[in-house]
Amino acid sequence: MAGARRRLTPYLYVLPIVAISGVLIYLSIGFTAWASLTDWNGLRRMDFVGLQNYATLLADRTFWIALRNNLLFLVVTVSVQAALGLLVAVITNERLRGSNVFKAIFFLPIAMAPAIIATVFKYMFEANYGSLNETLRALKIIGPHQAVEWLGSDLGVWSIIAINIFQWMGFSMMVYYSGLMAIPEELYEAAMIDGAGWWRRLTGITIPSLRGTTNVLVVLGIVGSLKTFDIVWLTTGGGPGVSTHFLSTFLYQARSNREAGYASTIGMVILLIAFVLSMLQIKLANRQK
Amino acid sequence: MTMRRRLPAQFAMYAVLVLLAAMWLYPIGVAIYKSVSVGGWHNYAVVLHHPTFSYWNAVGNSFLMAGLTAVVIMIISSLGGYAFSTMEFRGKNVIYNALLACLAVPIAALITPLFFSINSIGLRDTYLGVIIPLIAFNVLMMLMMMRNHFDSLPRELIEAATLDGCGTFRIYRQVLMPLSGSALATVGVLSFVYSWNEYLLPNLLLKTPDKFPVTVAISLLQFDRMSQEQISQLYAGLVLMTIPSVLVYLFSQRYLRAGVAAGAVKS
Repeated sequence: MAGARRRLTPYLYVLPIVAISGVLIYLSIGFTAWASLTDWNGLRRMDFVGLQNYATLLADRTFWIALRNNLLFLVVTVSVQAALGLLVAVITNERLRGSNVFKAIFFLPIAMAPAIIATVFKYMFEANYGSLNETLRALKIIGPHQAVEWLGSDLGVWSIIAINIFQWMGFSMMVYYSGLMAIPEELYEAAMIDGAGWWRRLTGITIPSLRGTTNVLVVLGIVGSLKTFDIVWLTTGGGPGVSTHFLSTFLYQARSNREAGYASTIGMVILLIAFVLSMLQIKLANRQK
Repeated sequence: MTMRRRLPAQFAMYAVLVLLAAMWLYPIGVAIYKSVSVGGWHNYAVVLHHPTFSYWNAVGNSFLMAGLTAVVIMIISSLGGYAFSTMEFRGKNVIYNALLACLAVPIAALITPLFFSINSIGLRDTYLGVIIPLIAFNVLMMLMMMRNHFDSLPRELIEAATLDGCGTFRIYRQVLMPLSGSALATVGVLSFVYSWNEYLLPNLLLKTPDKFPVTVAISLLQFDRMSQEQISQLYAGLVLMTIPSVLVYLFSQRYLRAGVAAGAVKS
């Protein structure tokens, strides 16, 4: 009796997490998989339609636009955030006077809600009376009556990318900064004796030593790209037309249009992409080791 | 990497930092400047006594939901992390990996079933209905952090306590918890900030404006055609709504940064 109790004890400790998180998430995934094969409208009627939703999705222009936007966002945000984050981390690591103030400035947006940041940027990017164009006009970078459409169909995705970089560059910086702390000082001392300059030390020691950190940032960037919703929905809402839709906002739109079955299909594709990209990244990271 | 620096190099480094800092401070400057540009400081009074938007109500809702979520996550992630770290049981690795696999699952992909299940158990438009999925999606990273923390504590502590006849719960409460203050604080602060910042879940599940947290309540200050004055008032509202986040940041910087580093280095 006592033995059985001891054997069951560990399960009691993990039960709350499994019951709340495991059950809710896995049930939701199962439900999504089933609903993606139906013409469910989110309320009642739910007829099995096989792979019809998937066929519709592959022929849907909005899907390809959203996928393209997600990929562009992923590649640009991950690389710019990593490059700027590394640059700032390396510079502040030189222990210049006041570097803590700079670190605090870049880290602050992480604590701010994306919904609030998105709203600030939305009005800042507005073409006619938005502050960004007003500033550019005052600096004579654009003409006095020129109105750059920052949230238009050409620049919209780039503006959303800029918002993300604003919010998350400090994260890359902090992660690189703690990575820098772990590099042994002797490596640099040896390189100095060999007469290696700043650039050679950066490319020869710092960047290779931080490869693990960079991998982590890439994985988090992939996951983050698929999770991006607020800064799109609250700035362009996917518009003008469908030009700035991301997979998440495309799904949200479909659900709002009472196409719950179709929305579930988009959900399955997002899960599939998340799964494949994470696996791929883990494979690549292991090979490098 | 301390080394002799030539003056031009130092100048170039400052130039980069100042340029970037200017770009990062610009949006914040815009928000503050715009909030007083039409109507002056009076805008802040207008927002605080708004007919359709209650600042204190929104802040209170955010505090309630983020606070409860953080407390529950601290409890269940430390209990789970303790078991996964120090106990042996059948299916341990399968369960742990199955849970961590969900770290990559975006909430956005599952809004349809989430809405359906929260609605069918009658929790739509309730705080609890938002808190449950908030816990479910945020607890996993915290579980990983707590497990890594317990892994880093010396095994002898537990062995000695077991020899003294302590049960598992007493070891958790009297031996391990006193050594876990900063790990728990990090988990609590991160859970609080992530839940405070959440927009999608409350927007999906709440419909009564009185229950909106700050992220969703922003919509109450936005209208179809906004006058310059209304835009200034919106900015004043945004500045006010950022103040609690900035305060949390100032008081918990240490834990927030530790959490960011720990979460990233080990994941």
